[in-house]
Amino acid sequence: MSHEPQAMNEFELNTTIANLRDLRESDLRDYDAVYLGDIYCRIYEANFLEHLADLEEGLQILQDQGKRAYVTTYAAPRNDFLPKVRKMLEVSAAAGAEAVEIHNLGILKIAHDEFPQLPVHIGGFANVYTDAGAEALRGFGAVRFTPNYELSLDEIHEITTTCGAPMELLVHGKMPLGISDYCFLLEYEEKWGIKCPDLCQKELFVKQGDWAMKSVGKGILSGKDVCMLEHLPRLLAEGHRYFRIEAVSESPAYRREVASVYRAALDRTIGGDGAVDEGWWETLRRHARIGLCNGFYFGKSGMDYAGIRPDAIGSLSTISRAES
Amino acid sequence: MAAPVLLAPAGSPDAVLAALDAGADAVYVGLKGWSRGGARRELGWDELAATQRQVASAGRKLQVAVNTIPKPQERAQLFERIPALLDLGIDEVIVNDIGILAALERRFPELRLTASIGCGAQTVADVAFFRDLGAHAVVLPGTVSPAEMREIRTVRGIRVEIMVHMVEEFVLLGKCWMPSYVHLKPSPLPTVFPSEVADAGDAPEGALRGMRQTGSMKRGGVGACFRICQQPWELYASGRRVDARLFPGRQISRIAEVKAYAEAGVDVLKLQGRSLPVELLAPLVRRYREAIDAGTVSAADEIESAALPATWAVVGR
Repeated sequence: MSHEPQAMNEFELNTTIANLRDLRESDLRDYDAVYLGDIYCRIYEANFLEHLADLEEGLQILQDQGKRAYVTTYAAPRNDFLPKVRKMLEVSAAAGAEAVEIHNLGILKIAHDEFPQLPVHIGGFANVYTDAGAEALRGFGAVRFTPNYELSLDEIHEITTTCGAPMELLVHGKMPLGISDYCFLLEYEEKWGIKCPDLCQKELFVKQGDWAMKSVGKGILSGKDVCMLEHLPRLLAEGHRYFRIEAVSESPAYRREVASVYRAALDRTIGGDGAVDEGWWETLRRHARIGLCNGFYFGKSGMDYAGIRPDAIGSLSTISRAES
Repeated sequence: MAAPVLLAPAGSPDAVLAALDAGADAVYVGLKGWSRGGARRELGWDELAATQRQVASAGRKLQVAVNTIPKPQERAQLFERIPALLDLGIDEVIVNDIGILAALERRFPELRLTASIGCGAQTVADVAFFRDLGAHAVVLPGTVSPAEMREIRTVRGIRVEIMVHMVEEFVLLGKCWMPSYVHLKPSPLPTVFPSEVADAGDAPEGALRGMRQTGSMKRGGVGACFRICQQPWELYASGRRVDARLFPGRQISRIAEVKAYAEAGVDVLKLQGRSLPVELLAPLVRRYREAIDAGTVSAADEIESAALPATWAVVGR
């Protein structure tokens, strides 16, 4: 297994994979770590969080590849989720998961009380907005934090300098924007002749005026891909070492090619050269259906782009592009 | 079986009086500049002081929502003012953030802190977490059933409130940043306390006390969310436009289950709607008062959602 970043020239690049099929189809050579599971829906196709034999196998696959094997957890559970969550945490601990990502505060309490051997990474839905929030969750065993996506880099830096909490930042991919108790896609089973869990495997966008978002059933993601390629020198200079490519709803090709770009860019930046290859840029643009944005990192609306490449902004017209 | 407390919303001193007159046991209001939902439905300091005197003289309780998420420097300024709230006799404060809840609990142990519905609690484990964090009460959404509530009530040492009358939007409260994805516009915090006006000197409004994150539902702001989820949108599937529709949302009115919630051990029945005008608020509170006093009410008597204005759903809760 690989080790946590220790030196200033080390970092962790990670992603999320929801099921065994996706894991087997993914080339993970450029990742250091993977979170297993889908946080939105219990009946997502073969979700690791419900299929515990698959989870054990998935953890073993990652360990065999020398990756840090993490497990994620549901962002908005109800009471009836919790027995399975406990079993999942038990399996994860027994199978050697190196950490569990937690978005829900009740699951945090369960993990803290019943599985203290599992290091806890706090997910973006846990709503860490300030240093006080991070400190409060440290009291429940949290060792790494994905701040709420609405925070700017300045606000994140304030948290890290105040309490020293290591942050994990989404550097590329579709940013989570919300979660629902209700999957409206189920209304289309009869009309489309497609049953759950295949419904949310389609590429689905909701569009309104000059914005669009991606639907994964109970989850809503940004329509544009957050892209921090141009800003990696700043992220590293501010001490960040944990970087996420959010690809849970993407293809294995996306997962592989985007990671390849970021691995090369991070290596080059650490070597003192922050230049961005044109080929990297073309790869990211090709995989971004409707353009790129910077999320909330620069204190603006989440779909804004603050970089130097005007072509990054993209166009909503590409939503209706025929699927290749 | 003790009858649950009826906790009503109010966005003005008149609304507070109307809620009390209609039978509310307690009323919650927003503190100007510090509550989600916008300045139009918040009380300034003088209004708050006068309202607290009226509520106390009626033998009822006033809760104050301080449910934005202040940045560290803003948080310190808020903490300086908490003693003034306590001096008024207000010790029940509603918050929306784990960090401010933990910090307030440490600094002001005499405060009784409620984790608001925006904190996202839905399960028995969530309630136990907020108890351990130092909350005196936690608010759950009306989507939580009486059966779920029975399990939740096995957690002791914390008051459990349920928002029995509310709008359920597509995205869960406290887990939505769709509006700020589209539009985020920081705006200066208004002044609240008399001392702040004196301290401000020639500084522009907000310069001393920070910014509201208008557009952020979680952090709060004026006219907070631009109602992204209430506007029609088009659905594209694999590149084809396949539908035009709205996100699903609904009015929840669980008045028919007042008795079931009481039997499940719920301590407080809370109504949503600080922006409701007096003429809508008073009959709403009265209906729930009657339901609590009667111990039950038939499902046929449910309050129809059409009684509420369409614009009420998101802004100003």
